[in-house]
Amino acid sequence: MSGSPIRALIKPLASLRLTVALLACSIFLIFAGTWAQIDMGIWTTLGTYFRAFFVWIPFRIFLPRHWDVPGGIPFPGGWVIGGLLMINLVTAHAVRFRYNRKRAGILLIHFGLILLLVGELVTGLKAHESRMSIDEGQTVDFAEDTRSVELVIIDPSDPARDWVVAIPESRLHQGKLIHDTRLPFDVQVEAYFHNAELFEGAQDVATSAATPVANSGFAVELGAHARPRPPSSGVDQDEIDLPAAYVSVLKDGRNLGTYLAALYFTLVPRFGLQDVQVGDKTYRMALRYVRHYKPYSISLLDFKHDRYLGTETPRNFSSHIRLVDPTHNENREVLIYMNNPLRYRGETFYQASFKQGDGGTVLQVVRNPGWLLPYVACTVGALGMMLQFGTHLLRFIRRTRTA
Amino acid sequence: MNTPSRSARLLRTLPWLALALALLYAGAALLPARDGRFALSQFARLPIVDLGRPKPLDTFARSTLLIVSNKQSFYLAETDGTAERSEAKGHAERSALEWLLDVMARPEVARGYRIVRIDHPDIKAVLGADPERKYFSLDEIVLRRAEIEAQIQRANEVPAGDRNSYQRAILELAQHLSVYFHAESVAELLLVPPTAAGTEWTTITAERHQVDEHGGDSPATDAYLQVMQGWRDDDPAVFASAVAQYQQWLGTAQPRLMRKIDMEVRFNHAAIFLRAIGLYVIVFLLAALSWLRMTPALVKSALWVLCVALVLHTLGLVARTVIQGRPPVTNLYSSAIFVGWGAAVLGLVLERFYRNGIGAVTAAGTGFLTLLVAHNLSLDGDTMTMMQAVLDTNFWLATHVVVITLGYASTFLAGFLGILYILRGVFTRGLGAQEQTSLTRMIYGIVCFATLFSFVGTILGGIWADQSWGRFWGWDPKENGALLIVLWNALVLHARWGGMIRQRGLAVMAVAGNIVTSWSWFGTNMLGVGLHAYGFIDSAIFWMFTFVGTQLGLIGLGLLPLHRWRSMQATSQVRAPRSVKQPTAPPLAPPAPESPR
Repeated sequence: MSGSPIRALIKPLASLRLTVALLACSIFLIFAGTWAQIDMGIWTTLGTYFRAFFVWIPFRIFLPRHWDVPGGIPFPGGWVIGGLLMINLVTAHAVRFRYNRKRAGILLIHFGLILLLVGELVTGLKAHESRMSIDEGQTVDFAEDTRSVELVIIDPSDPARDWVVAIPESRLHQGKLIHDTRLPFDVQVEAYFHNAELFEGAQDVATSAATPVANSGFAVELGAHARPRPPSSGVDQDEIDLPAAYVSVLKDGRNLGTYLAALYFTLVPRFGLQDVQVGDKTYRMALRYVRHYKPYSISLLDFKHDRYLGTETPRNFSSHIRLVDPTHNENREVLIYMNNPLRYRGETFYQASFKQGDGGTVLQVVRNPGWLLPYVACTVGALGMMLQFGTHLLRFIRRTRTA
Repeated sequence: MNTPSRSARLLRTLPWLALALALLYAGAALLPARDGRFALSQFARLPIVDLGRPKPLDTFARSTLLIVSNKQSFYLAETDGTAERSEAKGHAERSALEWLLDVMARPEVARGYRIVRIDHPDIKAVLGADPERKYFSLDEIVLRRAEIEAQIQRANEVPAGDRNSYQRAILELAQHLSVYFHAESVAELLLVPPTAAGTEWTTITAERHQVDEHGGDSPATDAYLQVMQGWRDDDPAVFASAVAQYQQWLGTAQPRLMRKIDMEVRFNHAAIFLRAIGLYVIVFLLAALSWLRMTPALVKSALWVLCVALVLHTLGLVARTVIQGRPPVTNLYSSAIFVGWGAAVLGLVLERFYRNGIGAVTAAGTGFLTLLVAHNLSLDGDTMTMMQAVLDTNFWLATHVVVITLGYASTFLAGFLGILYILRGVFTRGLGAQEQTSLTRMIYGIVCFATLFSFVGTILGGIWADQSWGRFWGWDPKENGALLIVLWNALVLHARWGGMIRQRGLAVMAVAGNIVTSWSWFGTNMLGVGLHAYGFIDSAIFWMFTFVGTQLGLIGLGLLPLHRWRSMQATSQVRAPRSVKQPTAPPLAPPAPESPR
């Protein structure tokens, strides 16, 4: 048994000591990843701690923030720990286990765990979340990815359709000159803030050196300026990052105007798109959430938001919608409410939130090819545990009875 | 006196005596409240909708007074109508209900009572008050109204996360005052039940308006006008007849509602969980004493009293479930009640099998501590809060929440067994080889249970999340907390199976499980607060740290070299010092039966 060199190599990988060490590591990683959410958004934490190979864990995340303790430790991230756990589990079954009926419970539990880990892997790699926000009476055929923005420049001159050029967030960094053949002008990014605060009045002395000044568009109309803010925290779920960018429109080396494009303007209905004048042609510009267009559309017929009597505590939200999909010849009404989503074409639509004044709904749109895996994993794992601990319990009871 | 037969007879009657006393104590909960001059027990049963839920005025009065002053009654000095609790011994006690009547009917008098609790010294300074005092009257506060309003406004302008302790305290005071003013505005309270199908609860103002416009009866308005009159004029007869007449009307108009209301008033009056706390203390003492002497009789007494305590605890749980029409766990308070219940049931099961007092002690210990936690959580006001829409599903509340809470309960129980192992081993000679074996078995078994419950509960939570917002696992603090318990329990089991820990190691790691559980139960809720401004530690955070500190201390004790353990010194005279070592268990199998049978 121990003669084979492969076995000798595998054996340490299959050891229970490694299991315990990995469990301890995962406990520490999760603990740290929870504390990190005080400063970082949940998605940033996810990317740095759990869906990462390695992570630098600063000591200060566990301490009061004003102590400002320097230093930290490098640590294996979720992919490494999860992967090793998986290897450990599989090799343990290959090397150490003898298969018999008494082991069936353990086998099922471990199989369930493997499914769970695979499920998380699939979710991490393949799942996609977006949002659809629809006002009452409005019809929408796209979902927005609220974790990334794009700078869009729209040419509305064609009466049949708008021509949109979208510049992804990844290209929006300070000093970047964006040249797109579809546009008769270039766009120079003067500054980009992942989370910005807009304010009226005079520019701060502290930030003015670094921040450009807009001379056209909303910024001038409103006397507004933007300054960077720290990213919003994962603990406070109500906060969102509001990116903003200062961009200049350049044509033939001439600056035609510097604009402040901000997600804030896009989200507030009375602002929306701002005009960009290039020669005698007017383009429109906005910084908005990345849109994914759908081959079908959803209209919001009615949104209901019930509260408990005499309070502001929500009791129920529901969206009465009409789903129209010409390619599948679908045209029907659907009621989406809490804990009762619509599943359609591989995507699931959940009642997530609502617009101010209850005038519209916000649906969470999720595509996750692995969504069924946790259900199977849970069933298998729970069965295994019941089998395993149940037999122990029965044996124990029988023994105390006879004792 | 000390003849063997006599003491033997005494011992035989002891369990019966203990049972009888416990039953008497528990049964006293069912006695109805006795009225003084005024028919308060009937007034207590008038309905109101507050915080989205129909409830008796009794609950409304208690929770309002609790919020404003942190207690359910206070004492009244004869001289000036105001008194501090400390200086009030021998004065008349004012119940929450009497206070509410004063607030409603004689607001000018009630405003003189010193009942608004203020702890923060800086707020007392703003009031220009004696820093030693704890309670203030509304009159005193209103005197500084302009200044306080300015302070509240300033604090409100600071973003929630950046507020310091003073700003949080002044906003808390603002909230307490608004609760007080709300209770004072009788005509604006939702006191009037719906009279026809399709109508909602409404206010006295609205009812009067309705009558002025369209005519008809206004039973609620009439009743409250007379009740207030009776209370103001100190006329019990007017008061009683008005309440009785209105009760009669309610009984025919809203029979189902009134049955529930009646149940809740009885439940409030019975103070079931406080009685259960008392009984748990007695069980704990009896079982602990049993290890000193007179074993069987005391163990039996402990067991029987434990049964009574558990019946009481269960009754309370059921009553809450029925009144709320919801599964037992809906908020932090009810989770504490349920954790205690789960741990006590498991402890009783252990006692049933081992009959050595250990199960009883841990059942009583966990029951007592968690009910104490619950009691402190209840000081925030009404404990039967309404659920946010996304949480409002009885199916998931009944499955995920109940199972995960049982996971907390069993992890705690294992931790308390671990504590018992360490304390008895280090400080007494009582932890012999047999006790070691049986305690280890208990811990092992409970850890298995804990793994099962926390695993299934966590995954059910994931499924709920997937059903509600399409994300099975979001890595948010609460989910991570639950996962930590599962991982910790799995770690303990694997370490045991791998022979990395033995009996003592199991006990020590079970105690560490207490820290993990308290983190995921309470710690994750505290992440959002107080971390930006540590200058002031909220009392919950303080207790959390204290608990973790004690557990770390116990772990330290458990790690003392074995020759410092008194129990091990005792056994080492008979055996070799390391003879407690047991053969390493085979991998992935339960610990081999170590005890010589």
